[in-house]
Order: sequence, then C-alpha cells, then structure tokens
Amino acid sequence: MSSKSEPAHRFRRANLLHIPESDLLCKNGCGFYGNPAWQGYCSKCHKELYQKSKHSNVPELKSKYSRRSPSQTSGESPDSSFLTFSKFEEKKRHQSEKRAKTIKSIIKRTSTFKEAAAHSGWKEQRHMSFESQKVNRDFGEFLKTLREPAAQDVKKHIHVLIDRVQKYTDRSIDEASELIQDFYQAVGERFETHPAFQGASPDQVEQLMNFTEKYLMTRLYKVLFGQISTEDEEKDLAIQKRIRSLNWVTAEHLGSDIDDKHPEVRDLIDKAITDIIEMDSKRAPQDKLSCIVRCSQNIFNILHVCHGGPASADEFLPALVFIVLKANPPLLQSNIKYITQFSNPSRLMSGEGGYYFTNLCCAVAFIENLTAESLNLSQDEFNRYLSGEAVPPGGYEQNAFLCEGLRLMYQNLAALSDLRQRHDKLMAEALSLREDMNKFKDTITKEVDLVLAKTPLIIQPYKIPPDIDLKVLPSVIREHVLQDRASSTWPTDVLLTEATLVDIENDQIAGQQAVEDSGCPLSASDIFIKQASSLKPKPEKVTHVLLEPSTTGTVETFHKVGEYSLDLGEFPHSHFVQM
Amino acid sequence: MAGSRSHSFKVVLLGEGCVGKTSLVLRYVENKFNDKHFSTLQASFLNKKLNIAGKRVSLAIWDTAGQERFHALGPIYYRDSNGAILVYDVTDEDSFQKVKTWVKELRKMLGNDVCLCIAGNKIDLEKDRAVSLEEADSYATSVGAKHFLTSAKLNRGIEELFVDLAKRMIEIAESSDEHRVNSLGRGSNPRRNVVIVDDEPQQQKTGCCGG
Repeated sequence: MSSKSEPAHRFRRANLLHIPESDLLCKNGCGFYGNPAWQGYCSKCHKELYQKSKHSNVPELKSKYSRRSPSQTSGESPDSSFLTFSKFEEKKRHQSEKRAKTIKSIIKRTSTFKEAAAHSGWKEQRHMSFESQKVNRDFGEFLKTLREPAAQDVKKHIHVLIDRVQKYTDRSIDEASELIQDFYQAVGERFETHPAFQGASPDQVEQLMNFTEKYLMTRLYKVLFGQISTEDEEKDLAIQKRIRSLNWVTAEHLGSDIDDKHPEVRDLIDKAITDIIEMDSKRAPQDKLSCIVRCSQNIFNILHVCHGGPASADEFLPALVFIVLKANPPLLQSNIKYITQFSNPSRLMSGEGGYYFTNLCCAVAFIENLTAESLNLSQDEFNRYLSGEAVPPGGYEQNAFLCEGLRLMYQNLAALSDLRQRHDKLMAEALSLREDMNKFKDTITKEVDLVLAKTPLIIQPYKIPPDIDLKVLPSVIREHVLQDRASSTWPTDVLLTEATLVDIENDQIAGQQAVEDSGCPLSASDIFIKQASSLKPKPEKVTHVLLEPSTTGTVETFHKVGEYSLDLGEFPHSHFVQM
Repeated sequence: MAGSRSHSFKVVLLGEGCVGKTSLVLRYVENKFNDKHFSTLQASFLNKKLNIAGKRVSLAIWDTAGQERFHALGPIYYRDSNGAILVYDVTDEDSFQKVKTWVKELRKMLGNDVCLCIAGNKIDLEKDRAVSLEEADSYATSVGAKHFLTSAKLNRGIEELFVDLAKRMIEIAESSDEHRVNSLGRGSNPRRNVVIVDDEPQQQKTGCCGG
C-alpha cells in the first residue's frame, strides 16, 4: 500500500523538526502513541478502525470510538482502583453491541460477496498489463473487420488455449511450445479451410494469423517467459558475464571496418544497441523480431557509411557480433529461446526477421565459443585481455566513448572548441574590416585632396551677358533681368554668350520674331549677330542673380550661361561682330 | 498449404570471402554489377520471385559469412534450407576445396533433400583459371550437385543457375508433398489429435476440424 509509505515518509521528515508530543499520540486520544503507518492511530485503534472500515461501517465506528476512549483513559491508571460500576456497565453494553455487530457483519458479508462476484470481471481487466490491454483493443478492432462467426471462432479458440496454458503451469516449456505450435498449425489450416473464413482475403488471413499470434503471446508472455527465464537463468547470466569479459574486443579484432570514431556511425551504433536492448521489453515474438530487424537495418546503415555499397553477410555478421558485445542485451538466451519456441515457424523459416534472428543466434554462438584464434590474437594475448591484465591498444578509448557521459563531454568539448574557433575568426574578420574601413577613409581623403589640388576651384568673375532682347529670355527670368536692369549700372566689358543662342533656338517665337523683323529666314548666327549689335552693357548685379540657384530649370540654363561666357570670353568682341 | 500453386524456398549462399557471392546475387536480383545505385543497403538477405512453368516461386536467398572464423556457424544458417549455392572462384583453388567441405557438411546435416548448385564464378578471368572444368564437373556429379560456370561481371550463367535450382527444388517439394499425402494417415494424425483434444469441450468445433 503506497498510501502507507507516504505518511511514513512525511513523518520521517517531520521528525527532524521538533514536534510536540501530543502530535505523536494516537489520533483517537486513547493515550497511546500513534504510528504514521497506522494513519496516526495506535495499533489497537487502527486495527479496529480497519476492520470496521472493511465492512464500511464508519459512522457507527466513530460513535464506538468515542465511547471507547474514556474507558481507555481510565485504563491508563489501573492502580487507581477506580473500577466503578459505571465502567462495568459500559463493558457490558460494549459486549452486547459487539454481538449485535457480528450478526450485522454476517449479513453484511453476504452482500460483499455478491459485490465481489460482480466486480471480479472488472478486477481481471484491471490486472491485465498495459501491453495486454493494448493488444486486446487492437485485436478487438481487427476482429470487427471480420465477419461475426469468424471473429467469434477465433476468440473462442484463443481463450480456450490461454486458459489451458495458464491453468497447467507445471508443464515444461517444451510441452507448452508444442501446444502453441500445434495451435498455430491448426489455426492456420482452419483459416484456410473453415467455412467461416471463406470470405476473407489472403491478406486478411495473414493479418489474422499475425494478430492471433500477437494476442496469444502477449497474454501468455508472463507465464511462459517467466518460466523460460527462471529455467535458463544460468545461461543468461553466463552469456552476460562472457560478454562483459569481452568488453575489450574492438571492431578491428572481429575483422570489421566499422569506424566508431565517426560521429554519424556512433549515432547509428547507439541506435542499433538501443534496438537490440529493446527486444527484451517486447512481448510478442514478432515484436521481438522486429527489434532485431531494426537493429540489423541500423547495422547496414553503419556499414553503408563506412564503405558504401550493399553489405553482404561477410560484413554484417562481424558487425552484429560487435553490436551484441557492446550492447550486452539482458536475458539474451531466454529471449532467443522464447522466440524459437513460440514464434510462428513460418516467420523464422523464410522472412527477413528469420534471417536476422538466425544471424543473432550465430553471433551468440560465436561469442560463446570465441577463441584467441577467432580474433586473430595469440593465446597469450587473448588470455591477458580476457583476465583484464592488459588492455588492447585503442580498447580503452573505445569503451570510454561508449560511456554516455564521457562521450557527451567530448562532444561538448568539440563543440566548444569549434565555437571558439569561429569566434576567433569572427573577431579577426571584424578587425580586418575596421582596418579596411580606415584605409578606405584615408584613400578617399587623399584622392579628394589630390583632385582638389589638381583642379583648384578658382572662381572667376563672371562675364555678364549683355543686355538681350527680353523676348528671347524665358519668361521666368525675364522679371529678374528687368528688375536688375532698372536699378543698376552697366559694366564696361560686355559679351554675348552662346547660351543666349541656345535659348533663342529653343524659343521658337523668338525665332519667328526674328524672321518677321528681317523679312527673310535667318540662321541662328544671323540672329546672334543681330542681337549682338543691339547689345547694351548689362548691370553687374545680373551675375549675382544668375548664379543663385532658383526653383526652375531655366535658371540652371542661365547658370550655364555663366560658364559658357567664361569660354567665350576669350574671344574679342570684334570677332562676334564679324561673324 | 496450397503447396501445388506457389512455393517459397530458402536458399543459402555459401562461399569463401572474395569469391563474388555478393556480386553474383546482386547481379541476379538487381541485374547490376559494381553499381553505385543498388536499391538495397544490404546483399545478405534478398527475395526473388520467379514463375516457373506457371508455378509461382519465391526464393529467399540467405547470404552467409564466409570467413573461416565463422565456419562453425554454418549449421545455424542452413538449417531448414531447400537449396544451397556454393560459390568458388575459378582462379582460386582453395575456394574450391572449401566448397567440398561445405558440401560434405550440407549432405550430413540436410541429407539428400537439399538441392546443391556449385558455381564457378569469375569466368571472365579465364586465363587465370586454376580449377579445371573437368575436375569441377566430375566432382559435382559425384555429390549430386549441378555445376555452373558464372560471371557476375559479364552476367553469364547466373539466370540459368537459379532457374535450374528452382526447378529442382520444386521437384523435390512436390515429390515430398506426394509422399506426405500418401502417409497422411500416420503423418499428421498426432497433430490432428491434439487439435481435437483442444476442442473437445465444444462439440461443434470437433466436427468442423474433422471436415
């Protein structure tokens, strides 16, 4: 009863603190010490309470206790000779009550019997292990897919057999095996021939056979496997001891080229080991076999990583021996015997599972009969390794890596050093980036300086464009020019600019105007000359106006005007006129 | 059960390491040689389905470890097998001697019910031949086996070998079936009895089993 141990535990903890004595007394107040194991009552009170509660007579019980306690407290001082008549009377009452209760309890008991009978079915269900319940459900589900008479038939047969096996526990394993093997055969034939199974497809029959085996063996596992493992306990221990004494054997000794330092291989080795150890926890033979198959597939994955291409038995068997040696699976011999005795023989005969199982048997046989010769060692070496006197080279590391904690440590160390390297690299790169940035800054500064030195910015006085016909000016600037003209003096040196020309060209109206003036089409240069001839000196302030960046693009053209005027300034005034 | 229409046989593959067991069986099952793209990770347990004269045959080919150190394990492998293919390398006299020891073992363990095929592999290396054809042939007939010359590399003789083996296994299986039918009265009665005992409490079932 776990509920008992829990308060006991609490008590032990509580004992560390100081607790008043009153807390240690029987809860019933009878004056004796109570015990957590008896729910805080003294042994006597608890016993009575327990017996009463068994008959679910709690309320009456309480009243009885309340009566009992004063008698007990008086009993605490027996030498006080206080045995009064009242006490005697109470005792009598007590006894008569007791008698009444026995009769009551007899009546009660019959009812509890009935209840027990009603609950027995439920109890059996509860006693079934988790696996049995699961297989029970699955099997039930599957049977639903079958026709009713077939399902009934299968169920009936299986239950008869389960009863038979469970009842006669004193029969030997071989007899039980024969019984079950005969059952497989009979059921197999029945599924083929019996009219109830006529409608089933071959697939369904196969599934049915599988489920029958699984259900049967899961239910009978405890009885049968228990018997095997007791009978073969010595064999199990012997192989376990043998494997332990061979813990120094490396893959190399076995002629296998498994590279157990490779991280991927290591993971796969772990998986294979887990699979083969898991075998012991399964119940049905086919589940045990599928563990072996999974283990074998992992071994093939290992071999694939190690040397690619499909592996043959020449490579597989040594690898399997290696895995078995490293795994040291529990109850190996018992499991093998169980599978051999209780699996459907067709499974062991032909299927993939059968093949790998055979290989496992071979591996075990090999380990049992392992000699110095089979490991390519001298007898002397072999003996020394076996006795633990010496450790073969590499053997220590190999086993160290098989220790989970150490391996984790190595992995973490590797991860850390990798992280450190990456961090260093990152820092180095950051530094070189900073250097590059500095260098870049320097070169840019230098280049800019150089360019500045080569092309000094000399602001030359602008040659002010002459007063031009306002008509050819874009309307935006026109105002400025007018303003300036009104309030300024004229510079002496006046030049005509080409930009004016451009503006003229752009301005068609201006062109047309010119045509009208002369009466015949004029070339740009004609206009140029014409206008140049009508030039008037322009006020100096105009320069200022033109340089100022303004909102419109047209002013920018005027800015250019200023530049052009620089170039044109080379030409003497007279040239223009001649043109 | 339904033995007349479909058969499934277990065939063990025996041979020293390096005689080309794996290549032989991979050539047969996948028709590839030294290919990087085998669809299987393993060449130790392979299934092949055949159709011989309208009979469906399923071969489970069990490879065995050929190393000397595993020699003693042979009987575990070839227990209950219907056929055996013994492979030797025509350029390697030792591998042929090894075949002889296996044949002896097989005959001792399985009697005459097992069909034997001896395959002299690597005939593409004809010029290095070390085992003479006559010797191998006469030895094979002396032990009731069939001798084939094969080359996994050139895909020679392999199909023939398996087909012939399958045919012979069918023969044996069918003749033993007949045998069993003839001696049915004695052969399967003990089992039947057990079943009937099984069902005795339920009367109707006894009837079903009997019929």
